[in-house]
Amino acid sequence: MDPGALQTYLPTLVRYVLVAIGLGILMVVAYRVQIRLGIKREAATGRALVLPWVVGFLIFNVFAIGASLYLSFTDYNLIQAPKWVGLANYQTLFKLDVSLLGSSDQRSADVMPRGYKEVQRVSVANGGFVFSAQQADFWRSIRLTLPYAFLSVPIGMIAALGVALMLNQKVKLLGFWRVLYYMPAILPAVATALLWRWIFSPSSGLINNILSPIYNLFGWETPRWFTDPNLALPAFLIMSLWGAFGANSVIILAGLKGIPKELYEAAEIDGAGEWAKFRHVTIPMLSPTLFYNLVVGTIAALGVGVELGAFIPTSATIGTFTSYQLYLDAFSFRKMGLASAEGWILLVVILVLTALIFRSSSAWVFYQGSREEAT
Amino acid sequence: MAVTTSPPTRESLFSNQPVRMSSGWHIRQALTYALLIFGGLIVIIPFIWMISTSLKTPEQLFVGTVDLIPNPAVPQNYADVWSQLSSIAPGMTFWRIIGNSLFITLLAMFGEIFSASLVAYGFSRFRWRGRDAVFTIMLATVMIPSILTRIPGFLIWKQLGLLNTYDPLTWPALFAWGPLYVFLMRQFYLTIPNEIEEAALMDGANVAQIYWYIMLPLIKPIMLAIAVFSFQGNWNNFVGPLLYLTTPQMYPLALAMQFFQNSVSKAAPLWQYMMALSVMMALPVLIIYFLAQKQFLDGINIGGVKG
Repeated sequence: MDPGALQTYLPTLVRYVLVAIGLGILMVVAYRVQIRLGIKREAATGRALVLPWVVGFLIFNVFAIGASLYLSFTDYNLIQAPKWVGLANYQTLFKLDVSLLGSSDQRSADVMPRGYKEVQRVSVANGGFVFSAQQADFWRSIRLTLPYAFLSVPIGMIAALGVALMLNQKVKLLGFWRVLYYMPAILPAVATALLWRWIFSPSSGLINNILSPIYNLFGWETPRWFTDPNLALPAFLIMSLWGAFGANSVIILAGLKGIPKELYEAAEIDGAGEWAKFRHVTIPMLSPTLFYNLVVGTIAALGVGVELGAFIPTSATIGTFTSYQLYLDAFSFRKMGLASAEGWILLVVILVLTALIFRSSSAWVFYQGSREEAT
Repeated sequence: MAVTTSPPTRESLFSNQPVRMSSGWHIRQALTYALLIFGGLIVIIPFIWMISTSLKTPEQLFVGTVDLIPNPAVPQNYADVWSQLSSIAPGMTFWRIIGNSLFITLLAMFGEIFSASLVAYGFSRFRWRGRDAVFTIMLATVMIPSILTRIPGFLIWKQLGLLNTYDPLTWPALFAWGPLYVFLMRQFYLTIPNEIEEAALMDGANVAQIYWYIMLPLIKPIMLAIAVFSFQGNWNNFVGPLLYLTTPQMYPLALAMQFFQNSVSKAAPLWQYMMALSVMMALPVLIIYFLAQKQFLDGINIGGVKG
């Protein structure tokens, strides 16, 4: 079963070198062909140089996205050939139902249509509602991932801004603080996930050990964090805040350092207090940096989760993050078509949110003329 | 370390009257340091907890108090975790798994740096029709959730018969698969004055010579920064190996951790061993980060501020 180290390294190494040589030849050929077609040398060289990316883009992005769109209309289990099913995957995903509960202790199963599974139960007075879906796992994952993204990014940015403002005061050992605060972002995601699973461990984790006097004081039960339906999201948020706030503060600090001091002097001459300077100089001048953070952070937060899902068990009512749900559907349950459809829904969500952030930018992001020339 | 020693005036938003040294200034300084130390503790305590757990006996784990310094310390855990792994999958030794991680990381890293430097060169120092549109498309690919393209990607590698090899994790890096690195390099290339190339062209140098003898030495700082990012990214890569590798002996460390969690540590988590693995996973990237922190933070700043 184990082929030995060298037998597994060597073939890959050979193909690596062959691909590199092939790419080199391809670039030279592309250059020659363009020259033959009468294209100027400068343009021909530039295009030849970006060719490695173009080839990768065509295979791993254009073709892959096209293939995944096609797969999303099929039923495919990796063994039999993909079977065209039209919109069936999307229909399965969008089959949602809201049913009324007669009393608060009525079982959800009694009111849900056949083939539906509960996503969320809302109790109101002596009745309530049950939201259910045919593909409940996917909607559960969206229900976890969207609030996670919406909360973790702004919370992380506000914390980072606070730290950056502190570091921007003439603190001693600035280099030390920067290195220290950036450390959590260096920790590998798998180690971070495992570490926080242990920190939030119900039986003897760090958090519960520290907080146990408080639990005892109020007579609370020891919280189970990741497996508690109400505490899982806060636990994930605390974990992401720990991982990101220091890193973002280093980026924001660089933005703060780039604000010309003359602006503050001018504001002072006009009699601006510290809040006015913060509100009318710091925030506008920092807005491009904050904007960049917001865009990158939101995209990353929506795509997060395979490491978290693989290392942190949650309870069935919470489900897992969308990326991991997709991974499970595609590679554990072998529903490639359904998973592709889920991926497309996720892609549309990311595109819409990014577009909204860009649309909002004209209202709050302030671009100096000189900044634009630099890019 | 970059400790700024500029004159005390006008350094920042809040400290522009430090010369007066009023009592309010002292209070604010004290408060700043108190908050910085508090934040620093929040950052560092999980790290200490990770290391201390990795040195504990199973009995020390479940005492219900916060013991940050284990007594007695058990460094033996670091060796034991590997004998446990090799007992379920013969050949899963420390050197083999670290070797796998390094093999993947170094090949992918070299591919990423080399291809990004070429592609960014083409995007920055040459004018051609469609350049800015193509560059925008490249940046836009960041929005595609990677798990979406992983499914067809998996099928491509299956067709090529290269599942359970290191190929999907290494040579695609030669196609500049990290748009961020190309972006960072391009920002850097744009700061190099045009006269340098023009002078070389006058002397009859060709593009390959200009790239090799003039550009590469000039972009060394950003290449170092990207090397640090890239080492970190590939060493930490978990999803790729998870999809493509099935033979435990071929796993990199990140995947070996999951293998351990789902086999030996499944019924009851053996936290001392899992934290020992986490420390081993984190140590190389932390060491490189400490050694190259200046390049690393400079790279972050190029990406974050000028974007």
